[in-house]
Amino acid sequence: MKRSGKIALVMMGTSALTLTACEEPKIDTAIFETVEQCVAEQGLTAEQCYGEFDAAKVQHAEVSPKYNSRADCEADFGAEGCEASPYRSSTGGSVFMPLMAGFMMGQMMGGRGYAQPLYRSGDDRKAFRTAENRPVGDKVGRTQVSERAAARPAKKLYTQRRGGFGARARATGFGAGA
Amino acid sequence: MERRAVRPRDNWQQVAAEHGFTFHTPDGERYWDETHAYRFTLREIEEDLEDPAEELEQMCFEVVERAVADEEVLRRLAIPEMFRGYVADSWRNRERNLYGRMDFRYDGNGPAKLYEYNADTPTALYESAIFQWVWLEQAMEQGLVPEGADQFNSLHERLIDAIGRFGIDGPLHLACARDTDEDLGTIEYLEDCARQAGLGTRRMFIEDIGLSDDGRFTDTDDDPVRWLFKLYPWEWLMEEEFGSRIPGSDTQFIEPGWKAVLSNKGLLALLWEMFEGHPNLLPTFFEDDPKAASLGGRYVRKPLLSREGANIAFVENGRTVMDFDGPYGAEGFVRQAVAPLPSFEGRRPMCGVWLVASEPAGMCIREDEGDITTDDACFVPHFILD
Repeated sequence: MKRSGKIALVMMGTSALTLTACEEPKIDTAIFETVEQCVAEQGLTAEQCYGEFDAAKVQHAEVSPKYNSRADCEADFGAEGCEASPYRSSTGGSVFMPLMAGFMMGQMMGGRGYAQPLYRSGDDRKAFRTAENRPVGDKVGRTQVSERAAARPAKKLYTQRRGGFGARARATGFGAGA
Repeated sequence: MERRAVRPRDNWQQVAAEHGFTFHTPDGERYWDETHAYRFTLREIEEDLEDPAEELEQMCFEVVERAVADEEVLRRLAIPEMFRGYVADSWRNRERNLYGRMDFRYDGNGPAKLYEYNADTPTALYESAIFQWVWLEQAMEQGLVPEGADQFNSLHERLIDAIGRFGIDGPLHLACARDTDEDLGTIEYLEDCARQAGLGTRRMFIEDIGLSDDGRFTDTDDDPVRWLFKLYPWEWLMEEEFGSRIPGSDTQFIEPGWKAVLSNKGLLALLWEMFEGHPNLLPTFFEDDPKAASLGGRYVRKPLLSREGANIAFVENGRTVMDFDGPYGAEGFVRQAVAPLPSFEGRRPMCGVWLVASEPAGMCIREDEGDITTDDACFVPHFILD
């Protein structure tokens, strides 16, 4: 036979609906607002807590969303919800990021999660969110989160400019495909 | 090879909607056309199209080998100076490629002749891989096509397999230009394949790509674009504002930079130069090559970088008898021997042979009325039956 044995589409068309409903696997972890809460949690050592907190703190500057102005940042993270990042824009201006609202433990009970900072958005003050904007619940202490939410957050870059591609498509009015 | 009338499925438009085929009738003009189908024998497919495509791909690799070793070749292909090292490195680093489509003149008699190789941004992929496949299954079920027919089409399986082999360790970004339904349909389909290969994906428009302060490309969430499938021609990327930042970025492009050598009409001249007389090649020369005179006054003049038939001209007795308007040509031309599309009841089919990861994987037939297959051509399905 010279053709595919079977065809499946998981996103296109109506067949997508049946396949996206399955639940994501979860992993064990714990969420804290402060390192003291972590130390007070039974079964966790101070060494573990400070290690994970420090790891999250270091990442905070790298993975948090970045904004050109404090106002833009506060529009997403609420009044007094932002701080200046260690980065500078190309013109030397400040770059803003949300305050770190807590942290999520990485290696809990052999879990495959990744220690990381957590945030709270302005329109949903209760829930903790990862830097990838995935909600991970509002509970402090041991919890379960989806494997995807516990994955390593990507370093957020500071985008200076957009729109440097696409001029020829606009100019020719021809499709780019052939 | 024959063109057969086939009764269309009563509900094909509904089937199209169910399968996400949204561009079958763009601007009210028919594109998907199942009122006919082309029948091939297995021998025609395997010996006349599949095997030659595989051999030509190997010949193309020899052209790339030569081009990356000789800057003069890259210059003749109008690849900008600042990208010559980048293109060469992409080949030397063995950057993988995903797919391409070789367009042939073929009528069932004699060898197929390569018109050109859409190695960088081919479309018609979704309808080849999915909708044509579904058509055959249903057409056999409904008795519109004899039981036991087959199709040259393992595209879907091979695409998923090939995407899984890139070693992509983060999300795959897929981008095309805004306001192009057909291009969007192509990246939607490839995104679907990537998901089935287990990858995370993000779809975006090429216009929305950002540049970070440390010279990396970003998506609209300011995340780095590490792996980018771009349905956007290399020659456009190279000359646009952010083009100069490509070599210093850490983005892996799919298709890789070396595809710029193959998606160029100059490839056809280089192939002829290196493999003169090969049965699947048409005599082709760079316009400024004195040997171009051997074609006499009758040839097809093609810009190095045109697409969808734009700026192609037919010349007879040294005079242009037919040409197609478009924005290309400043980069130079090739002259190719005339090999008119065959005529089946007045319709002019072109056979596009798909390659996935450089292996022949399927076929699509697009029919037009004239000597040049343009973006007004109809997609007509095919089947194999001895």
